[in-house]
Amino acid sequence: MRVINTRFNLKYDNVDEYGFMRPENFDYERYEKFMSSYLVILVNRSKKWDKLMKKGKRLQRGLVLKRYVKKGIPSSYRAQVWMKISGANELQIHQESDLYNTRLNSVLDSDVVQAIRTDLPRTFPDNIYFIPLEGSQEQLYRILFAYAADNKNVGYCQGLNYIAGLLLLVTKDEEISFWLLKVLVDNILPDYYSRKMTGLMIDIEVFARLTKSKMPDLYRHVKSLNIPWSLLIMKWFVCLYAEVFPTETVLRIWDCLFYEHSPILFKVGITLINYFRKTLLGCDNFTSFIEVFKKMPLDIFVLDCHYFMKRVNSENKSITNALLQKLRKEIKSEKKNYELNQLP
Amino acid sequence: MSAPPYSYSYIFKYIIIGDMGVGKSCLLHQFTEKKFMSDCPHTIGVEFGTRIIEVCGQQIKLQIWDTAGQERFRAVTRSYYRGAAGALMVYDTTRRSTYNHLSSWLTDTRNLTNSSTVIFLIGNKSDLKDQRDVAYEEAKQFADENGLMFVEASAKTGDNVEEAFVETAKKIFQRIQDGRLDLNATESGVQHKPSQPGRTTLTDQSPKNTCTC
Repeated sequence: MRVINTRFNLKYDNVDEYGFMRPENFDYERYEKFMSSYLVILVNRSKKWDKLMKKGKRLQRGLVLKRYVKKGIPSSYRAQVWMKISGANELQIHQESDLYNTRLNSVLDSDVVQAIRTDLPRTFPDNIYFIPLEGSQEQLYRILFAYAADNKNVGYCQGLNYIAGLLLLVTKDEEISFWLLKVLVDNILPDYYSRKMTGLMIDIEVFARLTKSKMPDLYRHVKSLNIPWSLLIMKWFVCLYAEVFPTETVLRIWDCLFYEHSPILFKVGITLINYFRKTLLGCDNFTSFIEVFKKMPLDIFVLDCHYFMKRVNSENKSITNALLQKLRKEIKSEKKNYELNQLP
Repeated sequence: MSAPPYSYSYIFKYIIIGDMGVGKSCLLHQFTEKKFMSDCPHTIGVEFGTRIIEVCGQQIKLQIWDTAGQERFRAVTRSYYRGAAGALMVYDTTRRSTYNHLSSWLTDTRNLTNSSTVIFLIGNKSDLKDQRDVAYEEAKQFADENGLMFVEASAKTGDNVEEAFVETAKKIFQRIQDGRLDLNATESGVQHKPSQPGRTTLTDQSPKNTCTC
């Protein structure tokens, strides 16, 4: 199935380890340079995780586990560790034993089925496992169907296809993907995907306020160009950076997301914008600003996920769940008598 | 796409709206890149495209906001209608439900834009002739009754795509010329360059020969 890339005669083929075709203009040389150092880190982290997992400890929350998660969970342990640190395991234990199959046998509104079906062929068409008849499309359909049946308030929201799709590629297990999707949408992200998307809009406003306090010049610049924050960052938050960032970077973000919840989403965005702050300030019109903004996730700064996550975690320690809760509460009460649709 | 600043004299803001899966992003992609993208990724929230076209001898930069079609995203996308000079309202000629929802899209457009906004109705996927679910005549009648411009188009073959975007711009330009669209109104959706800073009234810079296109 895989074609070795002979054009550059390098050791990386044109399909990555999760099945994504590399883009035509992919910079193999730059990538090889990054991977040569990242592989050493991966091997090193792998050994440490082997030890941690062998101890048979129940991955207790604490400074050690937190540090391990921040430095990246090895791909071979991701499914198992994500299930534990996210609380999905707990959730599963306290539910009917075969919730997934029960949900698969429910009846769903035809509009919801139609919406899921519409998005299937356009979920990762550049991934070899999502080519029609390769099986993943049908698995993804079942995960989304089961979740929609499980949480009828949410049903299906566009964007969940990317999240569930990537969960499936990483865990290679439908049911685990279902539980992880469930814990993300039901517990970790506050009201992002429901029919009014209220929580998402509040968090976009929270992000704008954090930018205002950390980079007031940039915040003013965005305002002067009349750019709504939702135009800039909505996809980041809806897709949790999937379909925006390189895959390995997204998974490193999700490692933290399952452990510490929302703060990581804000830290990532703020770090990225801060890194490009001067370039962005130099964009003197709407279009050029947006063009630069859209290109940021493709920069080597983001591809080099280990260094990127180090920066993300060290630069934004002040962004905590407590701070986010405080800001969310403020915004909610300010907008109480005001149409939430006006946000932001 | 990397035109030097102000190689154009106007910026027109467009929005593209319609149900999910009707081909909004594909139409935009066909218009800006002249290519068909099968399995075009669906839009989360809003995407953005630009292209400079020539209308009546004027270089016009189109600033096109392509919105997500799923109902729940409308809470967000509604805030993007403001200040649109053109609205492209799209349905899928092979799926009647997308046509049936047009009146609700039209209500949003009328409520959230201003009276001078040009609304253009596009029936997409005209290449899929044997799957047709909405007759041309029926949609044409709907368009006429509501004072909309209308074509059937195909983002796949490119048929009528250019026309829809350009005809909208011509109509906007006409409205500027006959004074129906006030350039100084804050939410006209039109910005007049290049005499920066600040806007000028059309009379300062209007082309000498009246446009007849």
